[in-house]
This record gives sequence, structure tokens and C-alpha cells, in this order.
Amino acid sequence: MSLYPSLARPRTLADAAALLASLSSGGVVIAGGQELMPSINAGVLAPEVYVDIGGLAELRGIAETPEGLLAIGALTVHRELQTHPLVTAKLPLLGHAATRAGGGRQVHNRGTIGGNLVAQHPLYDLAPSLLALEAEVEWVKGSETVRQPLAAMLADSRHGLGSEAILARVLVVPMAEGLGFAYEKLKASGGAYGSANAAALVKLTNGRVAAVRLVVGAVAERLLDASAAAAALLVGRPFDAAAGAALAHAVSALVTAPLSDAQGPGPWRQAMAGVVARRAVAAAVQRAGRA
Amino acid sequence: MDDLAQSVLVQWRVNGVLHELDVLPGQSLMDVLRDALRLTGTHMGCMTGHCGACTVMIDGRIAKSCIAQAATLPRAEIRTIEGLMGPDGRLSPVQQAFWDEAGFQCGYCAPGMLFSAIELLSETPDPTDAEIDSALAGSLCRCTGYQSLRRAVRAAARALRETP
Repeated sequence: MSLYPSLARPRTLADAAALLASLSSGGVVIAGGQELMPSINAGVLAPEVYVDIGGLAELRGIAETPEGLLAIGALTVHRELQTHPLVTAKLPLLGHAATRAGGGRQVHNRGTIGGNLVAQHPLYDLAPSLLALEAEVEWVKGSETVRQPLAAMLADSRHGLGSEAILARVLVVPMAEGLGFAYEKLKASGGAYGSANAAALVKLTNGRVAAVRLVVGAVAERLLDASAAAAALLVGRPFDAAAGAALAHAVSALVTAPLSDAQGPGPWRQAMAGVVARRAVAAAVQRAGRA
Repeated sequence: MDDLAQSVLVQWRVNGVLHELDVLPGQSLMDVLRDALRLTGTHMGCMTGHCGACTVMIDGRIAKSCIAQAATLPRAEIRTIEGLMGPDGRLSPVQQAFWDEAGFQCGYCAPGMLFSAIELLSETPDPTDAEIDSALAGSLCRCTGYQSLRRAVRAAARALRETP
């Protein structure tokens, strides 16, 4: 053990994973640094070993896989999500959510999708959309590669991502043509975070809701997948004011342990969960109607 | 570099001048610019990535240097606020517009505001007020001079469009 931290810059993902596995107390995986540096500057995080993965070409780029998925490398920054033609064309919900992330352009230019997701932070802006899109993730630990739903990764904190394991890529099924989408972020403060966020996907058939996905963030410790509740209320009906009110009521009722922090007190967050859900579905319905 | 290193050699071109420096893992780019290179126009503010006073350009994209780790930038092209003026010592068109429109009050936020305006105008030569607000969102002005900042960015946009 040393008083001073050290840094390694492995040349391949396999080398990086092997190095992490060889460190008895683990290391800290760093790329853009936007998530880690505030804690390092404050002295809250003082790792012995940094493993810099910023140079790993294997973790870069956005491409279509042979199975027809969009594979987004973990080093993809928010700015690329906002502007990449494949994301704009096939995952516009994700591209739009990336524009709403906090920190400004400076952070969008360096903050990666990998760092965003590994943080497992309930206030962050990419996970609600990726959960609505039923994204999968692929990560590497030692010599093992694991592929699992993002929802499973977010529900578990024992995977050691960021210290023993490295997120490699995010895999998403492209959105169908005409699918309505929206990301609604309710901001009550001048800061980076929303007080309640909702990502919605809506398929309309003859003016009626045929399918809906709805995920609400920033209101509880874990993101809330309200898709089943939304589908039970909305499928087969037109989305009118009464349907919107019923949805808002149902979503708020699902928030049993609301966050109470600088973004607002718990009871209000619970109420706002329903409001953003209603607004997101309404906006998605409108987009689907125009398509 | 596969080995663990307690001191990392970086090669940076800063405002056009090549530097080879030994930096410590964990150290921010801001610290190295201010302490080793004495480029104190890069301001230290919050150290959390909120305020934007430490904004610089890394490889052509703006970034908050307090939350960029120096050792993770083995080779980089870095531009600081000191590198904005022309070789003749004149203010750049964006700086001049900020000066003319009182876009500086105490000046602490100037690196963030200037670099954010420069990056915006390089992509969007005639921005709307909403685009200006969104581009400046990563920088805080505690003099609350946002109206003059908006005017300054509009003036800078006009100046750049009129520059041949």
C-alpha cells in the first residue's frame, strides 16, 4: 500500500479487466472523469490505483450489430449521443434525453454513457430512456463477459462495475418507425438535476394507444418502471384528459418511498412523478400522432 | 503504459506551446495549468463541475478542467483563456463583444462564458436566445449578469458573421 495513488493505462479491454482482477482491493476505473473527479477533489474518494480506460478503442463508437441492435460503446460521450446520425435516426429518445443532462456542454463533451450508467444515480438523465427502450448492457469482469438487461444491472450493486468490472457497451433495439417518444424533465432548481423525470414510448393505432413504455426517475432511490401500470390503464383507449389524470394518479401511487433532497420534499416529488408521467405520455402520443 | 505509475509523463500543446510535464494521478488539469504553467486565467471555483469558471478547450472541445484528470490526457491540445487573444495582443471578436456589451462584471466566470460562446458560435452562427441559454448552462455567473451575457453572445455572433 502506498500513500500516493498510481495510474495504469492498459492497451486492451482484456488487459484492463485482468489488471483489475489482480488488484486485491480493486482499482477505480476512469475515463472522462466527470463522475469521479468531484469526489476525488473533495477527498471523499482516494483510490490507490486508477485504471484509465479512456484510450481503449474497443469501447468507442456506435454501430449496428449483425443481430440488428445498436451497440453504443461505453466511452461514447453525451455530445455524440446528441449528434450521431445513427442515434438521431434510430434512438431519438436517447438522443433527446442526452441534451437534457446537466453540467452543460463542457460535461456533455467528456461525460460518457458508461460513467453515467455505472454511477447508478437516480437523478441522472440517460437511464430512464434506456430502461424504456429495454436496453441491455455488456460488461467484463476478469476473463468473463456478462450480458444482461440494464434493469438487472441497475437493480444489483454487487457486480463491482467501476472497481472490479468494466462496462463495455450498451445494446439497444432500434425504435420502430412512427413510435412516439418523449423525455420530460421537471426542473425546480437552477442546478443540473430534475425533481422528477419520465421517459415514454407510445405506439398508436387508429388514434388509440396500442403499446406504452414508461419509466420515471429522480423521485425514488431506484428508477420506477411504470410500463405495466400505464399499459393497464391506457391500451385500447385514446389518450384524453381523463386517461392522463388516471395515469398521473396511478404513477404517484407507485412511489412509496420518495426522495426528499435539494430537488424537493418527498410528498411533492411523489405528486410530480405522476405529473411528468402524464406529460411524457402526452408528448409521446402527440409525436406518434404526427408520424 | 501497462504498469502502475505514481508519476505520469504528459505531452500537451498549451496555447500553441509544447510542454512535457510529470503529473500525479488524481491531479486535475486545472491544478497543473494554474500551478505548474502559471496560467491563472483558468479560475478555480467549485471543484465539482458545476460553475464552469475553470473551462478550457481540450482537443477542440470545451471542458471543465477541475474535473478532467491530468494523467488521463497523455497527449492533448489545450487552449486556455490566455490563448484567446490574437498574436498581436488584440482581443478576439468574441472577447471584444463581451467587453462592448458588459459581458464581464467581476470576470470570474469569463473562461466558461467565453469558451461556451465560442463553441456555440462555431456550430450555430446565428443562435436563438434558447440556444444561447442552453449553451451557457454549464457556467454560472454570480453577479447575475445573464442579460448582458446573452447580449454579448448575440453581438459576438454578429461580429463573427461579418468577419470575412
